[in-house]
Amino acid sequence: MKLADLATVVRSKNAGPATLSFDLMFASEAGYVRALASPALGVVALARLYGVEPQRVRVHPYPPAHAIKIAINRKLIAGTPGDRDVYGAQQHGPLLEIEL
Amino acid sequence: MKHVERTAAAVKTNGGLGPLRVLSASGQLGYGLPAAALSQGFARRPHLVGADMGSVDPGPGYLGSGTMGPSPEGAKADLAAVLRGARALDIPMLIGSAGTGGARPHLEATAGMLRAIAHEQGLHFRLATIAADLPRETVLKAVRAGRVRPLGGMPELSETEVRQANVIVGQMGTEAFQRALAAGADVILAGRACDTAIFAALPGLIGYPMGPLMHMAKIVECASLCCVPGGRDAMLATLDGDGFVLESMNPARAATPLSVAAHSLYEQDNPFEVFEPEGCLRVDAARYEALDARRARVSGATWTPARQLTLKIEGTTRLGERCLLLCATADPRVIANLDSILPAVERNVQGMLPADLGAYSLHVRRYGIDGVLDWPTPPKAPPREVFLLLEFVAPSMAAAKTVAAMTKQYLLHHGFPGRLSTGGNLAFPLTPPEVEAGTAYRFNIYHVMDVAELPPLFPVSLEDL
Repeated sequence: MKLADLATVVRSKNAGPATLSFDLMFASEAGYVRALASPALGVVALARLYGVEPQRVRVHPYPPAHAIKIAINRKLIAGTPGDRDVYGAQQHGPLLEIEL
Repeated sequence: MKHVERTAAAVKTNGGLGPLRVLSASGQLGYGLPAAALSQGFARRPHLVGADMGSVDPGPGYLGSGTMGPSPEGAKADLAAVLRGARALDIPMLIGSAGTGGARPHLEATAGMLRAIAHEQGLHFRLATIAADLPRETVLKAVRAGRVRPLGGMPELSETEVRQANVIVGQMGTEAFQRALAAGADVILAGRACDTAIFAALPGLIGYPMGPLMHMAKIVECASLCCVPGGRDAMLATLDGDGFVLESMNPARAATPLSVAAHSLYEQDNPFEVFEPEGCLRVDAARYEALDARRARVSGATWTPARQLTLKIEGTTRLGERCLLLCATADPRVIANLDSILPAVERNVQGMLPADLGAYSLHVRRYGIDGVLDWPTPPKAPPREVFLLLEFVAPSMAAAKTVAAMTKQYLLHHGFPGRLSTGGNLAFPLTPPEVEAGTAYRFNIYHVMDVAELPPLFPVSLEDL
């Protein structure tokens, strides 16, 4: 199953200019548990998906909202010449395609 | 001190703390306030009104250049709407991160608007302004002593970067707003500030427990964003002894246990903890309950005072003047060869530039291919059109335009194997195709600095209007 078919929210945004943050939310606890168990949402797979070293990636399960938070240290600080997404609001595309 | 004493007298009951109402007018003051919700908020007789006005989100351009995100007219109209409501009820009005960047030029411009509104509308009040600019020497000393740490993807801070910064600010905490309240301020305009401090300062002085208080402040600083559907309308939080109730001032928005819990994720690295200058908020033990269909009660967050006071510090450095070239291609052979065409043109141009032009940088975005991000896999079929945005940064605008103009000409006419369209490789939507885009900055400081004491860094200035 694709993440985009299970999640109710898949979004990205800066958490400060040096960190990209991603929120995955699910309608039910079952969906959240299923996504959390998938290796595709592990640190190693996410690092490969975004072309960064695993040390730059953190995954925080957030049960109160059936949500998973992913944080990735930015390679280029927001707004530096050459940056392509100052707010970081369009970095979620690769997540939509992953198979759980 | 009058607002602190008056509010304390109003909320203190026999041995306990009664309801204290906090109105959040806006999460980004200056971009237009939904009037009905703001008016409804004031009708609920809040004990304070606050609004956040700034952020690092829009990038380094505003902090670096001393300019505001919203238009001056928009900022002044929003300030006037909140000020009229606050003065009519004689309650404190607290504004954080003045003028987007929160440095001295932003603070001065915003204070000028408040003075003009007071004059035009015959309003009288004590205005406190709190500057957030940090002396360079203070930051240099901290760097030398190893008391500065990077955030996220920032590198370690060097003395060279501190010297090259054209502006450095620190995010003040509740302490600075509390000093202004103690000095009798009716309106507090702060430079760069923690958004929580705006809403936590007054209730903190009265003695509401810090855990739920800071949790409330963290949620309401975004106004009605914590609701379903989320929005920009004014938000009311009512503190009681050990929790708080959230209610949007727009009846179409509901604060539900799930929507409020989910808001802790927003723009945070870790949804369970928020670090402030004076301590750390943890929400892992928080409870979210529905009071009715559109009001939620929240309790249980904890606050741990910091053993070491810290400040988030932010600074920018000027990189040069920026010029853009906007163009596109609809030729499949040009699209297929872009990987080799662009570097070849750049090499040609470099060989022809005047020797005294100075160092420049060129950044190319190829919209349709990888203009937004580096995809892990190529698309199934190549796009039919590709838009190119070329960004040139050089020591002067004249130098940036020289490189842009030359690059434009050689990109248009670059020959490559298999080329059919010898009339030109590009479509230009504008004439002239080069666009001046002002001064370029980058954040060279986004760090945490240990400090011994906060008050000397954030001086309060008072004036009676």
